[in-house]
Amino acid sequence: MSKSNSETKYWLISQDELDTWLDGLAHAQALTLVAPREISGVVVYSPVENGGHISKVFTRPVLSVKGVFFPPTERLFTIHKTGQEIRLDESFPERETVVFGVRPCDARGVKLLDSLFLDTNPVDSFYLRRRENTTLIGMACDELGPTCFCTSVGGAPDNPQDMDIMLYKVKGKYLVETLTEKGRFLIPGGEWIETNINPKTALSAGQFQVPKKGKWPEHFNDTYWMKFSERCLSCRACAYVCPTCRCFAIRDERLSRGEFERIRCWDACAGENYRRVAGGHKPRAEKGDRLRNRFYCKFYYYPMEYGLGASSACTGCGRCIDVCPAGVDITEVFSDMEGSV
Amino acid sequence: MSFEPKIIAFLCSWCSYTGADTAGIARIKSPANIRDIRVPCSGRVSPELIMRAFDQGADGVLVLGCHIGECHYDTGNHRAAKRIPVLHSLMQFSGLEPERMRLDWVSASEGERFARIATEFTETVRGLGPVAWRFSPEDRQIKAQSLQPIDNDFSMPVVDCAGKTDGIRAKAKELLASREVGCVIGYEVGPRGRTRPSFAYSPDEADKLVWNPDVSNNLVSYLPVKLKRTGKEPPKKVAVVVKPCDSKAVNVLLAENQFARDQVHVIGVTCDGVRDEKGSLQSRCQACTERTPFVYDSLIGEPVPAVTHGTQDKAAWLENLPPLEKIEFWLYQYDRCIRCYACRQACPMCNCPTCLYERDDSIWVGMGIGVNEKRTFHLGRAYHLSGRCIGCNECERACPMDIPISLLNQKLASEIHKSFNYRAGLTVVPSPIVTVLSGEYKEG
Repeated sequence: MSKSNSETKYWLISQDELDTWLDGLAHAQALTLVAPREISGVVVYSPVENGGHISKVFTRPVLSVKGVFFPPTERLFTIHKTGQEIRLDESFPERETVVFGVRPCDARGVKLLDSLFLDTNPVDSFYLRRRENTTLIGMACDELGPTCFCTSVGGAPDNPQDMDIMLYKVKGKYLVETLTEKGRFLIPGGEWIETNINPKTALSAGQFQVPKKGKWPEHFNDTYWMKFSERCLSCRACAYVCPTCRCFAIRDERLSRGEFERIRCWDACAGENYRRVAGGHKPRAEKGDRLRNRFYCKFYYYPMEYGLGASSACTGCGRCIDVCPAGVDITEVFSDMEGSV
Repeated sequence: MSFEPKIIAFLCSWCSYTGADTAGIARIKSPANIRDIRVPCSGRVSPELIMRAFDQGADGVLVLGCHIGECHYDTGNHRAAKRIPVLHSLMQFSGLEPERMRLDWVSASEGERFARIATEFTETVRGLGPVAWRFSPEDRQIKAQSLQPIDNDFSMPVVDCAGKTDGIRAKAKELLASREVGCVIGYEVGPRGRTRPSFAYSPDEADKLVWNPDVSNNLVSYLPVKLKRTGKEPPKKVAVVVKPCDSKAVNVLLAENQFARDQVHVIGVTCDGVRDEKGSLQSRCQACTERTPFVYDSLIGEPVPAVTHGTQDKAAWLENLPPLEKIEFWLYQYDRCIRCYACRQACPMCNCPTCLYERDDSIWVGMGIGVNEKRTFHLGRAYHLSGRCIGCNECERACPMDIPISLLNQKLASEIHKSFNYRAGLTVVPSPIVTVLSGEYKEG
């Protein structure tokens, strides 16, 4: 996960070489290849069994890559009860995984999740295992999509910093850059031609001005949030497609007689029962409170709590804007808040 | 070892349960495959129980009640007679062999009849073999099976939106200025040029309201919340802009006493259809012939004659699939559901305070992302909307994963129409399979 410069090497490969490489990875017994795959017209990161499954259209998948590390449902352990005896069994995910076609915004999202799951005690052992066993192969985006705003939150469509391997399209070929030892390990030895072309990283300026951290607390009690959230339907689509939303709920469920499992599932602050406690009290009863929580979490709470410094917990992928059935737009908050001085 | 089917039988305590006893006393043989569950009435057998039985691995479910006219509670079995066939058609549409579910009538004295039905049913289910309903990843993989693409590409008719926009604004201003209503729910164009719901509280704010070919949201979804009594004061009257389809939702909610007629001012707008994101007429609009809202206090726009596009029925292909392929088709669809509940939240009819499928005790469905759980949620939701769904397709539009949920709703709507000659929301009459308890609703 740490970047070491000695691993940074470049190769220039053709489309055929790329296809062969990916097909090889997909067929490899020892690992699972996850890549953008079209399922009934929807592109999602999904395991692929051969290179042909990988979506040819390089659009941003509907879901972020976070599910590879933090799946929608994770079994924490199983409980077996026989008579007076109770036994707990836990099993960890050990499978090697390679994710191809990762967007820079998604890789940034994984990096941000590390702050909670890995860099803060207690370390999440499930997340840790998955993180250690997974290699990220990024692909630079050709351009910003209509709802993308990564450049406004410190990212870039061709930013390789959170990848193990990064691919850039260069004149009908692909420039492959290895950034970590884990990435170097996947490069087929001797077949590819090394090059010294450097990818040009032209950081374009962001189109939105994200309010500074100090600005958020003073707006906490604004009536704006109630008004802004009026159209919110309290579904959870925004949080579930988000690369950095990581709330979860834990529950014990019955499997069969005497057998139970403890699972954790994605949860979201937009949902009506978010943070409900025993006795039925909901600290964030109004949808205004909940939607405000979403924005504060991205730009204030999470960065403060987990020491992200000046950066925010939003990677600017724009998915929440795309999926919202009611047209709630995170970037609107920026301009509204900037204008409210 | 030969296959022994697991059969769950819900037996009415007043008739068929005693009928089973009668069979026993008379030493008439009946199959041991039947697991009896004694219920107070066949009307007590909610469809969720039957779905739950199949989810838990039952090979067949038998419901036996009193003969019509002989119910201990007068009409309990009428309820079963209305509801269970609707569920039957939903399960069949989802790939369950129709023979695996049966509703019949057995009186307390008909021991022989009980034994005959039990034997017949068991043998039928035995003949079908083990049920393929429940999916377990160890047994099989879900085969990729997508909906056949249908080329129903119709361009949007050119409509006078400016005139309607002016009409809506003028009406909203009038209502807000006279303080007749506290809020007008309409549409606005957001900063990205996307049309979205809008809430105007003052005549000035009414200037942001618009009408255009993208007015897709069903704004009636916002009404129950807006009209909920929170403080001592009764909530202010609310005006809402509706298309003909949306107006049906107002009628359904009125019929179910969710609010009173004088709490809303309905601004009806004549409609020529709305676009999808590709710019062609939305599929629901292609089949729609309704141009004027069914309920309104003020009407904006002139009604134009309806144009019917001879659209292909998407579900027809699905109906003709063999059961197992139907199951696979739907599992493949539900598999990508992320349980974000956008479908439910966007639905004006989904207004339960706590969704049955989101209870803390996981009593009807687990919390996980398993495909069985997701199917249970979607089928349960579809059933709860039978006779109530007005076909606005907001669920499908809201779905980030493009799951064709509306097929379920359309199937049930046509089933209800066939059986009861009833279409939801045309008038203020509740769905024939919804039980409305009288005298419980007090206004204010």
